[in-house]
Amino acid sequence: MKKILLLLSLSIIVIMSSRAATMPADTGKVGTTADPTDPPLIFSGSVDTYWKYDFSGHGNIPTSFASDHNSVSIGMLDLGLKKKVGKASFVGELSFGPRGQEQSLPDGSNALDPITTAGVSSYHIQNLYVSYDVTDKFNLTAGYMATFIGYEVISPVGNFNYSTSYLFTNGPFQNAGFKATYAFSDKVSLMAGIFNNYWNTYTSYSTHTNALTAGDVSTFGAQLMLAPVKGWTAYLNVASGSYSGTEFDLTTAYQVTDAFKLGLNAATFSAPNNGGGFSGVALYPQLAVSKAVTFGIRGEYFEYKNNGNVTGITVTSNIKAGAITLIPEIRFDNKSTAFPSTFVDSNGASTNSAAQFLIAAVYAF
Amino acid sequence: MKKILFLLTCIAATYAANGQKTLLALDENNKYIYYQVVDQPNASRDSLDRKAMSFNRGIYKKGKAILTGDSVISIKDKMLTYSVLAFVKHESGIIKYTLTIECKDNKYRYWFTDFVFAPYYKDRYGNFVPQPGIAYSLEKAAARLDKKELDEYLDQTGAYCKQTGDGLKAFMSQNHLSAKAGTQPVKKIIIKKW
Repeated sequence: MKKILLLLSLSIIVIMSSRAATMPADTGKVGTTADPTDPPLIFSGSVDTYWKYDFSGHGNIPTSFASDHNSVSIGMLDLGLKKKVGKASFVGELSFGPRGQEQSLPDGSNALDPITTAGVSSYHIQNLYVSYDVTDKFNLTAGYMATFIGYEVISPVGNFNYSTSYLFTNGPFQNAGFKATYAFSDKVSLMAGIFNNYWNTYTSYSTHTNALTAGDVSTFGAQLMLAPVKGWTAYLNVASGSYSGTEFDLTTAYQVTDAFKLGLNAATFSAPNNGGGFSGVALYPQLAVSKAVTFGIRGEYFEYKNNGNVTGITVTSNIKAGAITLIPEIRFDNKSTAFPSTFVDSNGASTNSAAQFLIAAVYAF
Repeated sequence: MKKILFLLTCIAATYAANGQKTLLALDENNKYIYYQVVDQPNASRDSLDRKAMSFNRGIYKKGKAILTGDSVISIKDKMLTYSVLAFVKHESGIIKYTLTIECKDNKYRYWFTDFVFAPYYKDRYGNFVPQPGIAYSLEKAAARLDKKELDEYLDQTGAYCKQTGDGLKAFMSQNHLSAKAGTQPVKKIIIKKW
C-alpha cells in the first residue's frame, strides 16, 4: 500500500511539474500586463573549455583567459541566480575555475592587497547585488557588479571572441559600489554611482600596512546610454578616482541588418600620479551566414602611454548546436619592440609577432 | 522491478500526455493566429463593446486598445518566452502581438496575431535583456531558430493566448459593467444577522 501511495505521489509530482513547465510564459519584468505576477526564480549559467595552440610552441599573447598552450583546459563553471519580487530584486552569480577565479576575481582573504594575491581564497563572486525600482524609470543598485566599462566581459557567453582584447584585460572587471540609473526614455538613460576606491576589489582598501588606515568609496562612475536608431546602442562611460585613475570609454554596437552587426570600443586611461596609462580602439564586425554559423573579426590597436603598442587581428566563428557554441578562432598579434610583453618564436628568440589557434566549447543554460 | 518499470511508464506517459500541440493555426495570409468566435445570447453589440473596452482597461491596465473600426478594438501587448534548450528556466525573449476583439449582437470574436519574436541575451549584470535590433515574425522564425525551440515558442504562445482568451471570455460573460472595471466587490460579513 505504501508503495502504491509512493507511486501515486511521484506521478502527481511529475504531472504537476510538467504542467508547470507548460504554463503560459506571462510573467516577468517586461512581461504582459495581463498578469503582472512576480517572475520565477531565474537560474542560469555556463560551462566552457578550450584548447589553444600558439604557433611558436610557447604561450605568447598575454590577454586574459585562454592562457594555456597546447592543453585541453577549463574556463569556468558560472552559476547565476536572480529573483524579483515587486520592485526589489537580487542577482547572485558565482564562478568556479581559472577564468572565474584567479584570472578574473580578487582574493577575499587579503584586504591589504587583494589584487596581487588574487584567487588564493576567492569568494567566487561575479555579481552580487540588490536592486530596487523606485519608479518605472528610476533604479537603485548596490553591491559588487560587473563593470559598466568596456565591450567585452568575463563570461564567455557574453563575448563573441573567446580570447579577449587588450582593452578588456587592462580595464576594470568589476566595481563594488552604489549606483542610480534614470531612464529618460527607451533611447536615453543615465547612470551615476560611487564605487570603492580600487577596481576589482570586494572591499575598499588602503595600500598602507597600518590596519587603522581604511580605504574609502571614492571612485566616481557614470554612463550615458543612447539608442539613436533601432538596433544601435552607445554607452559613454567614465570612471575616475584618485586611487584607481581615470578611464573614458565608448562602447557601441549597431545591428545594421539581421545578419550584420558592427561593434566598437575605444578607451583611454590615465593612472593616478602620472603613472602612465593606455589608449586603444577595437572594431568588431560580425556576419551571420546561417542560423547556426556567424563569422566575426576583432581588429584592435592598443598602446601603453610612452611604452609601445600592439595590433591584434582575431578571426572567430560561432557555431551553435543547441545550447553549445563551438568557437574556433585564429589570432595574429604584432607589437612594437617597446611593448612590455615578450613574444618568442619557435627557437625561443625574441620576436614582435605571435599567432595562435584555439577552439572552445561553451555550454550556456 | 515491475513497480519500477510501472513508475517509469507512468512518468513517460505523463510527459507524453503533457506534450502540448500548438494551439495556433495559420490564417489565409499564412500568419499564425489564435482565433475564437463566442456566442453570447441576449447581449447587444453595444454592451459587448463596452465590456471589451472594460476588459482592456481592467486587465490591460495601460489601456493600449485602439478602435480600429466599428465595434473593433485592437490591443498591442507582449508576453515573455522561456528557454527550452536549457534544463533550467529563464527568459529567452518576448513576443509582441496584437489582440483584436470584434463584437456583434449576440456574439463576438477575438484573435491574436502579428506575433513578433525578439530574443534575449544575458548581459554582464546577470539579467536577460533584449538583443538590440533583432526581431522577426514567428512566421520567419524557422530560418532563425532550431525546430525544437520554435515548436516550444509556438506552444507557449498558444497556451498564453488560450489563457488570456479564457480570461476575456470569463470577463465578457459577467454582468459587471456597473462595477468599476477590474474590481470585484468585497464580501463583508454582517454580524448583526445570524
